[in-house]
Amino acid sequence: MSLNLHDITVTLGRGDSRTTPLRALNADFPAGRLTALLGPSGSGKSTLLAVAGALLRPDTGQVLLDGADLAALTPSARARLRRERIGYVFQSGNLLTGLTAHEQLLAAASIAGRPVRTVRERARQLLADVGLEHRLRHRADTLSGGERQRIAIARALLLEPALLLVDEPTAAVDRPRAAALAGLLADTTHRHGCITVVATHDPAVEKAADRVLDLASL
Amino acid sequence: MLLALLELKAARGRFLLMGSVVVLVAALVGVVSGFTTGLGDDTVSALRRLPATHLAFAPGTSTDQFARSLVDDTALDGWRARPGVRATPLGTTITRGTTGSGVEVDFAAFGVEPGSFLDPAPGSLERPDTVVVSRRLADQGVRPGDTLTVDRLGITLTVTGTTARSSYGHVAAAYLPIATWQRIRFTAPGAPASGAPTSGPSVDRLPGQYTAVALQADPGVDLAAADRDLRTRTLTVEAAYPAAPGYTGERVTMTSIQAFLYVIAPLVVGAFFAVWTVQRQPELALLRAMGASRRRLLAHTLGQAAVVVTAGALAGAALAGAVGLLVGSKVPFSLPATALAATMASVILTALAGAAVTLRRVATVDPMTMLGAGR
Repeated sequence: MSLNLHDITVTLGRGDSRTTPLRALNADFPAGRLTALLGPSGSGKSTLLAVAGALLRPDTGQVLLDGADLAALTPSARARLRRERIGYVFQSGNLLTGLTAHEQLLAAASIAGRPVRTVRERARQLLADVGLEHRLRHRADTLSGGERQRIAIARALLLEPALLLVDEPTAAVDRPRAAALAGLLADTTHRHGCITVVATHDPAVEKAADRVLDLASL
Repeated sequence: MLLALLELKAARGRFLLMGSVVVLVAALVGVVSGFTTGLGDDTVSALRRLPATHLAFAPGTSTDQFARSLVDDTALDGWRARPGVRATPLGTTITRGTTGSGVEVDFAAFGVEPGSFLDPAPGSLERPDTVVVSRRLADQGVRPGDTLTVDRLGITLTVTGTTARSSYGHVAAAYLPIATWQRIRFTAPGAPASGAPTSGPSVDRLPGQYTAVALQADPGVDLAAADRDLRTRTLTVEAAYPAAPGYTGERVTMTSIQAFLYVIAPLVVGAFFAVWTVQRQPELALLRAMGASRRRLLAHTLGQAAVVVTAGALAGAALAGAVGLLVGSKVPFSLPATALAATMASVILTALAGAAVTLRRVATVDPMTMLGAGR
């Protein structure tokens, strides 16, 4: 399993607000390795995650997941890919209003067409892994930003994705918790052999990563 | 569906509020439907029970035929002579009377020829001073053996039987010999009269006229040609319902109310789901970003609407049924289970149509919004 970006260019916006966050980018992401994506704000980290996650079609170039070009897929095929093979943790706005922490994970399984009974226990375990075993029945909107982000990580891991894309997972958590989360992501990557790409400014994540890709230096 | 149910649970306050509105709308539609049917029955059930296919009225009466039409013996004899047609005179008049025990009642006097196909209780109307009352009149205290004296005319009738519950123009029906009906119809109040037909105005001097000629016509009989020849205007019994007093006005009023409710239901439900969908745009974008298909999101939204609308309609149906049980014996109200089910199905469909208006917004939600949220 591999993810290869070839000659990716993405232009966003129109008129004066038009920007090109990714220009002729080439990058490879091996399976079983956690890649930390570094770079200043606006350097294209989130855009790269969106392209890799089949959310955004590049203007030019190829996004090859196991040799299949995601950019050439139909919208419905890309949606299927996202729900079946990709786990995505956004920088914010990750959770469904009104649902409890446990229900957030069950809802993700439901969307993917998995019988909920088969993931109920694993969902509990994953929430415990991110330190939220005491928050299972708490509505997500009553939790702190850091707790919400940890729920999103647990949800992304629930279906054991082939590709795990994480955008600033530790931005709202304290330093010890950030290190623990980074360790969890690295451990999951190594155990399941998935491709993990984490956009971050956090040294703790950079330290836990197997490799670093600095967009500012490309 | 799990996600739809989880969201319903999470936002139960809002959905309960919406559901309550659906309950009230559905109950109101059910109650109005019950009154529409009940009032209709109360106006024309006696006509509906006539074992006739057609009624031949006098020409030149296109409205209120039961009050205005008078056909004569010539027309009656002409219809009787037509092959494939059985004809008998029918008289209708709303009047009032008082029983021997002092019970005052209004009744719709249906004059029929004893022994004819209109006779509701063959053998009970052999004598001219007899009357067979519908069960509704019996419920009001007019029982077999009682006397019923027609107010102001002094014509006294003896109740010789009862028949099924039927009414005409919101008044209980009573069946009496056609000659007696003619005495009631054509005798001026205050004119010399007594309970016995022989001591009042002579039957012989009364005009040989009737409200209509009731027909049992075989299929294929050319009724239009007969109308031309006999100078009558024939309608099916059903087509004659609007000629009953108040029938058209009531139908228009009640149907208008129902129509408004059928417009209100989808508007209210549509407005709620439009606001709900706008509020959920970030969540919908997240679901799309997580790979939920458009079809799943549409099913999810419609599923939520279906749960709320169906539950609301069922509760509304129960409420309408309860209202029927409460008032059904006091006012004209008829809401059979099949009619209630059909009414609620209509409410559900129109309400879902309202919810469906929001589907375009659901289908076009952009998962890239999630990227925007993070940038």
